[in-house]
Amino acid sequence: MNITIDSLTKRYNNKSVLDIPEMIFDEGCLWGILGPNGSGKTTLVRIVAGLLDSCSGSVLYQGDEYSDSIKKAMTLVFQRPYLIRSTVYENIAYPLRIRGVSEQEILARVNELIESFNIQSIRDQKAWTLSGGEAQKVALARAIVFKPRILILDEPTSNIDPESIMLLEEKILDYYRKEKPTILMVTHNIQQAKRLCNRIAFMNEGQIIDSGVPAEIFGSGAMPKIKEFIKKGLI
Amino acid sequence: MDNFVSGFQDAFQLIIDLDPEFFEIVRLSMVVSLTATFLAAIVAIPFGTWLGIKEFPGKRFLVRIIYTLMSMPPVVIGLVLFLLFLRNGPLGEFRLNFTATAMIIAQFVLVTPIITGVVFNGTKDRGPDIQDLARTMGSSPTQTVWLLIKELRINILSAVVTGYGRAMSEVGAVMVVGGNIKGHTRIMTTTIAMLRNMGEYSLAIATGIVLLLISFLINSLLYHWQQER
Ligand SMILES: Nc1ncnc2c1ncn2[C@@H]1O[C@H](COP(=O)(O)OP(=O)(O)OP(=O)(O)O)[C@@H](O)[C@H]1O
Ligand SMILES: [Mg+2]
Repeated sequence: MNITIDSLTKRYNNKSVLDIPEMIFDEGCLWGILGPNGSGKTTLVRIVAGLLDSCSGSVLYQGDEYSDSIKKAMTLVFQRPYLIRSTVYENIAYPLRIRGVSEQEILARVNELIESFNIQSIRDQKAWTLSGGEAQKVALARAIVFKPRILILDEPTSNIDPESIMLLEEKILDYYRKEKPTILMVTHNIQQAKRLCNRIAFMNEGQIIDSGVPAEIFGSGAMPKIKEFIKKGLI
Repeated sequence: MDNFVSGFQDAFQLIIDLDPEFFEIVRLSMVVSLTATFLAAIVAIPFGTWLGIKEFPGKRFLVRIIYTLMSMPPVVIGLVLFLLFLRNGPLGEFRLNFTATAMIIAQFVLVTPIITGVVFNGTKDRGPDIQDLARTMGSSPTQTVWLLIKELRINILSAVVTGYGRAMSEVGAVMVVGGNIKGHTRIMTTTIAMLRNMGEYSLAIATGIVLLLISFLINSLLYHWQQER
């Protein structure tokens, strides 16, 4: 599903924090959303995920407005994910449970993911006893277990050790290659964006100031502002 | 000290003897408080949850009123209801004064803000995150409500038990509207107050001990559930 944004604005207490006249996130691309702190990245992805109601403008998903069927085919992983008060297994099973998937299939699919994420040792651990990095892995597994067509990730690898970052990146790429969903990934790590993404949207002060393939955005012809950001190490 | 020692002895005696008058008092205490708490929970759990996740103008004011009601003196609640229930009062036609129904209403008024307040506090902290999760998982509205209740179950349970404890231990409101009539509206707390007036100190202590025991049992149950999850 592609995502089309038309004159989208969001204000907090009369302060504009998001202003995007138009933008298309092409179908089947892995988008990196970059920009300094407070530039509106989280606000944008929350609106796309249908979590902020009070904004003006429109977001269309393959031409359609937000609806129940869109909601069921899209998900967002928060930087600090909320895990339900149960085991790791039950957390990953939750989206399948509410979709009425048979217990047998749930068991197979959840166990397969737990193995591929290499988290067998915490399978039956209570979610509130997990470390931050473990919680991130569970949240990503829970997000892809129901094969969403739009996967949104808000800083999926911040505060995570290098080894786990590699694993999470590998899982994101695996899922992307296998299912060809549209992925929006907010990140502050420009190397990570170059490693994973085939499209970049660069945000500043609530606007998308540039978007396209990484080579153009970061290459020799990069916008002065983006060059400046890269140099100053602001992202 | 003697009063405490003989109080313990009397308490044992009362329980061992299965004294019918005493058991009627305990039974009525529990029936009144359980009914009041149950009815309060039906109103307060949805209301407190709703208050925790919805934003609307005037919400802060409403919350402040609920917090104030949480600490309203029971005897004032009793007095207001008593006046409403007077024969020539606005609700006089129902003849409620000096009935168990009036006592249930009084405890209901006392406990509803308490359960609402505790549920609200728990929901306002975690409710929005739970709602966001439900939405990103594709939950239907019913599934979202169910998830909220499941996630906040310990808080909800604590709220109900807190409310029940408050209802059971309250004396001012039930005394005013119930009148401590033997075999009719006499419950444990009003018995204690009465026995004290009569100078029957050890029997008063004995009743108090049974009251504490019930409260201990209920809180042990709650603690057990909390440990489980
Ligand atoms: N609930 C809110 N009330 C008021 N202002 C808000 C609220 N949420 C966000 N903002 C403001 O909106 C702006 C954009 O915030 P947002 O979280 O989208 O930035 P971000 O790009 O995700 O930043 P970061 O890189 O730090 O995560 C910020 O200036 C922030 O202060
Ligand atoms: Mg952010």
